[in-house]
Amino acid sequence: MDRGQRIFQAYKNTPWRQQLQVIGLFSALVIFIAIVAGVYLNVTARAATFGREIQSIRYESREVEREIEDMEAQLAYLTSVRYMKRRAEELGFIPVGPITTTYLSVPDYSREPSIETSYVDETDEDTNIQLPLEYTMSLFDWIREMIYEIGLQTGAVEGP
Amino acid sequence: MMESSWRYKILAAIFGLMGVAIVIQTIRLQVIPEGQAVRQEGDDRFQGVWLEIDSPRGQIFDRGGYLLAGNKIVYEVGIELQYVRDAGSIAQVLNTVLEMNYAEALGLASLPFDEKDSVYAVVERGVSAEKAAILQSFIDKWAEDIRNGDVGDGSLAGLVLFPYLHRTYPERDVASSVLGFVNLEKKGYFGIEEHYDRMLIGAAKEVWIPFNPNNVTEMPDIPSGASLVLTIDREIQLMVEQLLDEAVEQYEAKSATIIVMNPENGEIYAMASTPRIDLNEFWTFPEIYPEDTPFNRAVSQSFEPGSAFKVFTMSAALDSGTVTPETIFFDTGSIEVGGITIANWNGDAWGEQDMIGCLQHSLNVCLAWVGTELGADKFYEYMDAFGFGHFTNIDLAWEATGRLKEPGDGDWYPADLGTNTFGQGISVTPIQMVAAASAIANDGKMVVPHVVRITIDENYQYQTHTQTAGQPITTETARTLNEMLAISLEEEASRALVPGYRLAGKTGTAEIPHGDEGYTKEITNASFIGWGPVDDPKFIVYVWIEEPTPIWGSLTAAPVFSKVVERLVVLLNIPPDVVRNQLNGQ
Repeated sequence: MDRGQRIFQAYKNTPWRQQLQVIGLFSALVIFIAIVAGVYLNVTARAATFGREIQSIRYESREVEREIEDMEAQLAYLTSVRYMKRRAEELGFIPVGPITTTYLSVPDYSREPSIETSYVDETDEDTNIQLPLEYTMSLFDWIREMIYEIGLQTGAVEGP
Repeated sequence: MMESSWRYKILAAIFGLMGVAIVIQTIRLQVIPEGQAVRQEGDDRFQGVWLEIDSPRGQIFDRGGYLLAGNKIVYEVGIELQYVRDAGSIAQVLNTVLEMNYAEALGLASLPFDEKDSVYAVVERGVSAEKAAILQSFIDKWAEDIRNGDVGDGSLAGLVLFPYLHRTYPERDVASSVLGFVNLEKKGYFGIEEHYDRMLIGAAKEVWIPFNPNNVTEMPDIPSGASLVLTIDREIQLMVEQLLDEAVEQYEAKSATIIVMNPENGEIYAMASTPRIDLNEFWTFPEIYPEDTPFNRAVSQSFEPGSAFKVFTMSAALDSGTVTPETIFFDTGSIEVGGITIANWNGDAWGEQDMIGCLQHSLNVCLAWVGTELGADKFYEYMDAFGFGHFTNIDLAWEATGRLKEPGDGDWYPADLGTNTFGQGISVTPIQMVAAASAIANDGKMVVPHVVRITIDENYQYQTHTQTAGQPITTETARTLNEMLAISLEEEASRALVPGYRLAGKTGTAEIPHGDEGYTKEITNASFIGWGPVDDPKFIVYVWIEEPTPIWGSLTAAPVFSKVVERLVVLLNIPPDVVRNQLNGQ
């Protein structure tokens, strides 16, 4: 055995240590894959949950819309002109005639009632909710975006 | 060792073959044409579902914002054939709750399930919320029993309810002839519902709903139908309809029509005719409107207007300078025009009359003379400008044009000029009369009548602007005629007058041709057209009563006009002239 061999022999790991290294490496790989899979599953599960919630809220929203329309109609039945007239008569009111009416001049008064509808202005900014980037970008795009932002902050990358 | 080796090999071969088969099948599905259909079926069945999503039909409001046509929840009752276990029980429940024929219900529930042709049976649409609640309680009770382990004899598996919105009319028959109705297929018929059907109906879209929540996509924005705010005032409309019904009963009339319009902008405050229908029961339409009965006589029925038409003859003569209010005509009781002799309504000779007298006594002879002095060309030119024989372009379905025969038409004779001057031999619609009269009440400018005041679409409001349909006469002529008509009403002590208000107007009594007998004096169209206050007209009211007893417009239509105006001025907040002048002077 020459000197070189002796040095190699001296520093060579024992077989069990070599096996342990291989097992360790393999375990590390498995753990890494498990972590990635776990994160992926977690994100997917959350996305799925939100997806279901969105679907459910949409159905609910359509149901509420229907109910609003229905209730407006019910209210209109309860305040229909014939019904209101009968109620007024039951309460002892009688229609006024043109001669028996006292007219007063009220500056800037307009008899014309305002028009109220069930519609509201939906152009409000609050309703234009944007999903976070995490939900709309791929993982690689997100990482690239992060690196780009860090680069901008550190000055390593020039801004547009 | 050798024995177990061949077993391993066989097992490996089996797994290997299975793998190869999977690969081959995968390639086959991707490549062969039939594979496309298989893939599509898989996509359709397992990846999501196509749903038709429709938006609610636009609402209709009166000018005060009160709902005239809205939407209510009704239900579709159906049977999912795949899940039916006991057709008899389903039929029994349908028979009890929906009063459906048992055999018919059983037939539906017993339909064999076929994945391609027979999946779902519609039992009934438009089921009320009350009945649906009872039906649901049966289904819930059955489901509860199943949960408790009590399977029992009957199964309602497969019986389903789907809610949807359907048109409803809270005011029932009020303004029915203006609104029209929507049938179960969501199609608008007559009136506003038909004219604006495409705007009101909104949009329906087929949307792909994926089962995989990861694939949930943005739901497309399906716009609701536009909502409409009408010019109709529901209180004025109800008042007019009540007076209309009273008039039909009192005068034993065949039908009646009343229109109330603002002559300044063409807004229709009320439009009523008989018969009317509870729009929530639109299926009674064939019984209520037999044969050719128009849904809305105000726009769809043409008739001979009679003497009310004289205001247009006189305005043409004044405007062209043919006569002035002071022009004297000596009435001998008859005049010959185009070979026929024209007489007055009572056959009398009224002697010396100025033009106000001619209108006041409604002298046919005088107006026929005015027409001949004016000449056929000028007369028809003016009538054309007043819009007779043309659409007014009111925003309601089924408008008729009437008929104005003119020189050059094959069926026009010189005698027509004589009879047309006092409203016989010409057919008009009530809305044409009102539109034409707006020129006299509105300083010569004729407005286009309209029923929609505001359109609300996608959160934007669009105001309907006043449209002028021309100026057939000058402002001066309009004012002169206004004054003449006001004086003639006052001097006649007409039943159309309303204490405290100065009004202008004219009665009409037109004979109606009847079968082989031709024109008879016993059957008439009685009418009155009037407006006020004379110095600043805010309303035009037209009353037309078909075949009343008594036959005269002055005895039937004029009093109805008076009653309408008496209530109208209160609802429109128009004080008596004296008070108004005082308030204006403040």
